[in-house]
Amino acid sequence: MLKLKERYDGLVIGAGIAGMQAALDLAGQGFDVLLVERQPSIGGVMVGLNKVFPTLDCSSCICTPRMAEVAHHPRITLLTYTDVQRVEPLRPGFWVQILKKARYVVEDQCIGCSLCELACEVLVPHEFECGLGARRAIYIPHANAIPQVAVLDPEHCVFDGACAKACPKDCIDFGQLPQALSLEVGTVIVASGLQLTPMEAKKEYGAGQFVNVMNPLAMERVQASNGPYGHILRPSDGKIPRSIAYVQCAGSRDKSIGVPYCSRVCCMYALKPATMIKHELHDSQVTIYYMDIRAFGKGYEHFYRRAVADGVRVVKAKVARITEAEERDLILRVELIDEGGRLAEVRHDLVVLSQGLVPAWHPGAILPIAEASDGFFEVPELATRPARSSVDGIFLAGVATGPKDIPDAIVEAGAAAMEAAMYLDRSRAGCVAA
Amino acid sequence: MNEPTRPEWREALRRFRERMGGLTEVKKARQKAHREARTLIAAALKSGAKSVPAIARETQLQSPDVLWHVMAMKRGGDLREAGRAGDYYLYALKEREP
Repeated sequence: MLKLKERYDGLVIGAGIAGMQAALDLAGQGFDVLLVERQPSIGGVMVGLNKVFPTLDCSSCICTPRMAEVAHHPRITLLTYTDVQRVEPLRPGFWVQILKKARYVVEDQCIGCSLCELACEVLVPHEFECGLGARRAIYIPHANAIPQVAVLDPEHCVFDGACAKACPKDCIDFGQLPQALSLEVGTVIVASGLQLTPMEAKKEYGAGQFVNVMNPLAMERVQASNGPYGHILRPSDGKIPRSIAYVQCAGSRDKSIGVPYCSRVCCMYALKPATMIKHELHDSQVTIYYMDIRAFGKGYEHFYRRAVADGVRVVKAKVARITEAEERDLILRVELIDEGGRLAEVRHDLVVLSQGLVPAWHPGAILPIAEASDGFFEVPELATRPARSSVDGIFLAGVATGPKDIPDAIVEAGAAAMEAAMYLDRSRAGCVAA
Repeated sequence: MNEPTRPEWREALRRFRERMGGLTEVKKARQKAHREARTLIAAALKSGAKSVPAIARETQLQSPDVLWHVMAMKRGGDLREAGRAGDYYLYALKEREP
């Protein structure tokens, strides 16, 4: 049975890179932090990426030390596989209800040996590999997962008890139930992260039906050395792709799907893997079809020029339609803007849609803060207090407020932690309005 | 395999199975299809290393499904990469250690 303290100084919702940074920065100032993550592992989107731009550092090599720091910090209590169900203002502070979902594994006894996983015969498309690889019905979320604790997926379990028989620590607990807990916190930081715009919304690009039209996170996994294939292959037949297209703004700046804004990171997240493909598959051709290249961050313009110098083709064009040809190749009908709008049809082995970023969480009545018209959380004082929400004592970090890259998310997380610390000091001094 | 020392685990598993709606026909069919696919792929590779399209042709399975199973079997230690033919990797059965 999980036991928590009755009160923490801060609650951080979401343990992606922004949430982890906010928790570390707040705990580093001497405050006790409860960090809650709905997935079975911390690390968010970043831990699944292959490299980061513009430095081309290994993403998990940067992310995992921070994950370990969070897990071992004496002032951070980490709860994975946990949903926040209610946050109510107490003035000062907040009453919080959380639900620890059942893993069916005793967390503090599991040693992450994977013997349960190896004993399980069920194969399930692995969410961490965007469905391209397989996991078992009981599994460690991924190689870099923290905690390294198995989770049983009852939806796919065939109830043969193989995992229980294989477990050397006797820690499979079929009787485990979800556990609701309530506690008080002094302040809340929301770092609930992102998801991609749905591929199904882009009917002109196949609405998610073409197996060789991939989302960018799946392509990150394909490129990762510990990814599902171990090589860059296309999902339809394992062919090494010789002609790869990235289609920009395939889910951003598009009023027809309700995403009128620019997602800010897509230009760079296409240039980065395009460069990596050229480095690995020298004779493959990589083409980026774009409306505008927005390389706005430090070192980004240089990275763009380097990508072009490395052989990435950038073509100013609007992709009107994608159709599937024989052998599941793809035909792109494009309007070539630099050629007076000439229409052309181009064949590619593999296409990656640069989908936009939308919020991962719409809490509704769970959390009493306002959303802006774009669906991200409202920031009433955007120009001067970019980490403040519409409610005093609740702060925002990372993509919760709008699309941003990793460095900006980290900076904002630090700002949210500092705002939260100042709020806690004011609360202790009795300076917060009741 | 060890037999769990927790005495009530079989009863807990029975109750868990009941609570989760039992072993449905959908689950059984999915399990059977996966097992058959792996058996077919292994049989196709008995005559030598093959690419995903070649396995798909021989087994009549869809090539994306073949790739998915081949990768799962490779990860599980049943298959290994065995060179390349053009733009395709070849896969071979891995000899089991005695």
